[in-house]
Amino acid sequence: MTGRRTVGWAFAALAGAALGVSLVVLIVLIVITALQAGPITAMRAVAEAGISLSLRSMDVPSTRESLSYSTIAQVEAGSPASGLGMARGDALVAVAGVPVDRPSRAWDAVGAAPGGYEVTLPVAWIPRSEITLGALRATSVAGETRVVLTSPSPAAQGGGLRAGDVLLSAAGIPIVGTRQAWEALVVAARTQGTPIELTLERGGELQVIAWDPTARAELRFVRNPLRAWWTFLTTLNEPRYPERAGLFPAFVGSVYVVLVMAAVAFPLGVAGAVYLEEYAPNNALTRVIEVLVANLAGTPSAVVGIIGLEVFARALGAGRSILAGGLTLSILILPMMIVATREALRAVPQTLREAALAVGATRWETVRHHVLPYALPGILTGTILSFSRALGEAAPLLLLGAFLFVTYVPRGLGDSFTVVPLQIFEWATRPQDGFATVAAAAIVILVTLLLVLNALAIVLRNRFQRRWSG
Amino acid sequence: MSEHVAPPVLSTRKFSLWYGSHQAVIEVDLDIAERQITAIIGPSGCGKSTLIRAFNRLNDLIPGVRTAGEILFRGEGIYRRGVDPVAVRRHIGMVFQKPNPFPKTVFENVAFGLRINGFQGNLKDRVAQALVQAALWDEVKNDLHRKTGYDLSGGQQQRLCIARALAVEPEVLLMDEPCSALDPIATAKIEDLIRDLARSVTVAIVTHNMQQAARVSDWTAFMLLGELVEFGPTREVFTRPKDSRTEAYITGRFG
Repeated sequence: MTGRRTVGWAFAALAGAALGVSLVVLIVLIVITALQAGPITAMRAVAEAGISLSLRSMDVPSTRESLSYSTIAQVEAGSPASGLGMARGDALVAVAGVPVDRPSRAWDAVGAAPGGYEVTLPVAWIPRSEITLGALRATSVAGETRVVLTSPSPAAQGGGLRAGDVLLSAAGIPIVGTRQAWEALVVAARTQGTPIELTLERGGELQVIAWDPTARAELRFVRNPLRAWWTFLTTLNEPRYPERAGLFPAFVGSVYVVLVMAAVAFPLGVAGAVYLEEYAPNNALTRVIEVLVANLAGTPSAVVGIIGLEVFARALGAGRSILAGGLTLSILILPMMIVATREALRAVPQTLREAALAVGATRWETVRHHVLPYALPGILTGTILSFSRALGEAAPLLLLGAFLFVTYVPRGLGDSFTVVPLQIFEWATRPQDGFATVAAAAIVILVTLLLVLNALAIVLRNRFQRRWSG
Repeated sequence: MSEHVAPPVLSTRKFSLWYGSHQAVIEVDLDIAERQITAIIGPSGCGKSTLIRAFNRLNDLIPGVRTAGEILFRGEGIYRRGVDPVAVRRHIGMVFQKPNPFPKTVFENVAFGLRINGFQGNLKDRVAQALVQAALWDEVKNDLHRKTGYDLSGGQQQRLCIARALAVEPEVLLMDEPCSALDPIATAKIEDLIRDLARSVTVAIVTHNMQQAARVSDWTAFMLLGELVEFGPTREVFTRPKDSRTEAYITGRFG
């Protein structure tokens, strides 16, 4: 008696563990991805203020150290940032008092600032070299590079610099080049704050002047998550800056590919299943076909990609188009469609077929009017599940040679394309700040889409079941 | 209730049927008389359902079925080469053991056979007529398009199936234990209905309820292990069986 109970408990524990692990994994996955994708709101806020950032670094002379800083890679015309006089090539030094050593620091500072959707934060930046310093010339004296300020800019003059000053170091960082002089200022401002202790040689004498070359202003940021996600989903992709990345081309590509796949795989799959279940004689050929379908269902998706490449892209000349992608995916899900549809057809009571045949219906009339409608909820459920599998596939399309990098929206069957999983793959492999965030955001959108599709499958099934049972 | 000999509508000539290697019907010779009720009785597994399903070639659906001998419908062999089973079924309707209405409205259940057979007349009238014939009209006339076949009670469902079969005006109505899934009241209604139907249509009914066979039928065939043991007017089979096995069965010694 106790032995039998123990077995029962063991099974209960195993089942509980399996279900618990699935649930925990799913929740952890969603939470982690959502957390990863969180900064997209602040990234978008910075981008909409007009600033695109990129990471630079400066090697500290005579050390092996390297210090990073952020330049403003692009300022959108007419944006608040351009209104403040920011321009391409300036360095962003601090946002809301937080030193900015890399782009993500600026986004995080905007994201973490207290306040509502809209916040106005102080920003500090150092305009590009010709505005901050003016014209520089490098001369070589006794093998040592000396950086001479030949014609100081108004800002430099205002800071007390004069023509002919030789710049030696900024806050202890040696100045060894005309470009590096400005970088040294930026890095010094970032690491040690302003004013900067600038050491220079004027008329043969060393002088130290305290200078604050930063420009300061208040900039308004709009941190609206809904708008950020919506913009992410509906804008074209700007491949260089993650804060301007958009999922739209990949999203449209996915939709087109799945539509092509549906148009091919649904009728073929249903027709194949109807033939096997309702018409096929019980003979060797039928069994061979069944084995082939089962094997195709077990084919690795990468292999299916090779078929797509050789047959659709090359032999049939469809190239790396949406048509080729849709056809490739349709091969992938065709066996799943057939298996799901056959299961649904098998669940149709034989008495229903007999009822139709007994009033003089042909086989086709029986299938068309009674068997298919009865099996439809099951067929649709299987179809949607197959589609959601295809929606998440990257491998076959990667082998087909679908582009990873698409900045336009495909318009027709012949256009090249990318899909959401490939876009995620591309973003996830980028080392720069922020691409991990947009990859996570794309994952969130893809997973949401899959959940919506699966929910739709359940709703469809329930609705039809209600209809049948009255 | 007359027991005069009418010309047979359906007749089997040394008809045998195999499921794979198992022979379920063994050389049966049977005549089914026009506008009479023929009951086929016998214990479970005696081949009576198989035989009745052979009359409209429904066994064709089962893989591995083989037949020998002939079944003649008005003199034409229905198993002959080139005979379309669909055409056979248009003349020989069937009602099944378990009510199997379509999951559609009451109206569509009856109208389906008419639609696919290209019925030209007034669909509404014909459906109503079939429902009246099946003694269901009064119970469903207000819900024709509102209720589905599944919303009806078991007895109503079976009468709906009868209406569905009658709508296409078959010459023969095959009934495979039509009351076995019904309660006694519903059974009584169906039995009355069968008697009424025999005025216009030939009925062959399989039953393992001997009282039902005795109550309803004009002719009775007793089958055992695939063979037709005895066939004759119902009153004679039940009162003066010629075969000792028939006697044993109807007196309840086995079955």
